Amino acid sequence: MTAAVSPADAGPAAEVKPASRPTPPRPSLAIYLGLAALAVAAFIWFWQTRESTAVLYVPLGEIMLWAPQNPLIGFLVMLAVLAVCWRTRTGAMAAFGALSFVIFTYWAGARINFSLTSIPERWSNLEGQLQAFFRPNWSYVFGVWDQWLTTLNMAIVATALGCFIGLLLAMIASPVSSPNKPTSQSVKALNSVVRSIPDVGWALLFVALIGGTAYGLGPLAGVLALLMFNIGIVAKLLGETIDAVSPGPIEAADAAGANLLQRDRIAVLPQVMPGFVSYSLYVFELNIRASTAIGIVGVGGIGQELSLQMNRFAWENVAAILYALIVVVLLVDLFSMWIRRRLM
Amino acid sequence: MITFENVDVVYPNGFKGLSGVDLTISRGEFVAIVGLSGAGKSTLIRTINGLVPYTAGTLTVGGTLMDPKSKSKLRQLRSRVGMIFQSFNLVTRISVLNNVLTGRSAFTPTWRSLLGWYRAEDKEIAFQSLERVGIVDKAYNRASALSGGQQQRVAIARVLAQDPEVILADEPVASLDPPTAHQVMRDLRRIQQDLGITCIVNMHHLDLARSYADRIIGMRAGSVVFDGPTSEATDAVIEEVYQRSLTAEDVAAVDVAVSLDDLPTAPEQEAAEPTATQAADGQAQQPVAAPGGETEQGRT
Ligand SMILES: Nc1ncnc2c1ncn2[C@@H]1O[C@H](COP(=O)(O)OP(=O)(O)OP(=O)(O)O)[C@@H](O)[C@H]1O
Ligand SMILES: [Mg+2]
Repeated sequence: MTAAVSPADAGPAAEVKPASRPTPPRPSLAIYLGLAALAVAAFIWFWQTRESTAVLYVPLGEIMLWAPQNPLIGFLVMLAVLAVCWRTRTGAMAAFGALSFVIFTYWAGARINFSLTSIPERWSNLEGQLQAFFRPNWSYVFGVWDQWLTTLNMAIVATALGCFIGLLLAMIASPVSSPNKPTSQSVKALNSVVRSIPDVGWALLFVALIGGTAYGLGPLAGVLALLMFNIGIVAKLLGETIDAVSPGPIEAADAAGANLLQRDRIAVLPQVMPGFVSYSLYVFELNIRASTAIGIVGVGGIGQELSLQMNRFAWENVAAILYALIVVVLLVDLFSMWIRRRLM
Repeated sequence: MITFENVDVVYPNGFKGLSGVDLTISRGEFVAIVGLSGAGKSTLIRTINGLVPYTAGTLTVGGTLMDPKSKSKLRQLRSRVGMIFQSFNLVTRISVLNNVLTGRSAFTPTWRSLLGWYRAEDKEIAFQSLERVGIVDKAYNRASALSGGQQQRVAIARVLAQDPEVILADEPVASLDPPTAHQVMRDLRRIQQDLGITCIVNMHHLDLARSYADRIIGMRAGSVVFDGPTSEATDAVIEEVYQRSLTAEDVAAVDVAVSLDDLPTAPEQEAAEPTATQAADGQAQQPVAAPGGETEQGRT
């Protein structure tokens, strides 16, 4: 009987309006008006400094209003952002952040004349090349298998060495596992420098220093470039992982009289091992891609072949390489996913 | 023997953790330290192995002056002083055996530790330690696969692998349920007596302190305000240490006594009244009626 009654009871009870819930405080209107004024100022500034002459006409009865096209679009986006912020009662700081984000993005785009309108203009030019992508030259791809091997081997060697060195540097860099503060600070600074140079930068540098494929040293330069690239990534990611390990086992190792190296090996390494393996696999995936990219600047491998075929306008070959590259990268991703699942 | 002479600890932020502590703890004693949260119990214990450096006075452990500035001397001292923590502090991803072998670090060449290639003798010591706490069959399990009580036993085995003269324990059973807490404490007490190890243990519950310790030290605001055999640590005395009247929580949960009765191997009988109001009760509850128990107290 009670079971039959309770749904009937629950029905009207559910319809009763709930007691007033606390609502987020309304942000101050004055600040939002100020932000709107900022948006107007940005609009005027964009108008004054615009380089594109495109203009948008808005017929309004008798009068024809007009505004410069791109600044107007930017202005409307800014107003929309402010409206959404106001509606969701976003705080003043966050709303200001969102508005600045739009302004900076617009400004950066305007400086480099970023516009998608030029793509249709170039369409006729692209068409012939795009057609090549429907008839890739498969026989060619298998003919350059040794270049593929070079790329893969560079990636393997660089991953193995780079991750190991990265591990050591991360250990020295993290205050948790480093011998002392000055060492930790200076290794951290070194890591930042290593990381600030992109993989192609390292490749150009090593090709210039020790010679590229012309001297038969391309792969060496490539491995060294990838190595620096890998050290930067692993040291950074792993360093942050080490910073966050649980301090209990470290204290226990200290209390047992372990020295620094023993402590790092016993209490820190096991804790960061899953992260390390995961980062190493990630780095290996990156290396397959990166070793292709740096091949273009003369370290050999499939990247060099790619740039060669492009210079010859052999688009069927280029297409075949790119397709094969997708397959290889996917295979490597699957492989590392498989390992990761096993290790977690 | 551990002697504190007028020891002060001032933390880097200027807070005075210990002030003017004078203590002598003899070899083989089982000492419980009680006091409210923030009284300085952990500080006192951590001073003994240098995890917290003392800033004034003199502290000697086993006849050697403790020097918190010399890293190698500290390591040398820590190899003789084991520590057990409230949160076990095991490396959960590695095997129980490897956790216990951590206790051999001070006696193992660094290269062996780095390769994880321990000597057969060290492994044997680790197995013996695991045997003492009764979980040798779990040696190759991951530490994370063990229950809290088992994990704390692994931590005890890790300390035993050091072959320590002193065991420091900072609230070793505070994160265990009461029956498990009693079992772990009983193990610790038994091992301590078998091997003649000095044990200094921070406790939250008075009944645990009274059941297992020879001697109780009461702390308040960084100072020792009571120090005497367990029989003297009456409720009135502890209320004086706490500066407030005791609550049921201070003593123990009521159901502890009940569940203890169900334990098949419990050698001690908990008092029917868990509040244990009489002074004599503390003495009567001495868990292990070992003949040496009394004399060790006498050596204080
Ligand atoms: N690293 C530190 N820096 C500054 N002050 C500290 C530090 N560690 C502890 N203290 C202070 O020293 C006092 C004693 O702390 P301690 O940890 O010894 O207390 P406790 O008796 O163990 O308390 P609990 O029962 O809560 O563990 C506390 O007031 C605490 O705030
Ligand atoms: Mg404490």
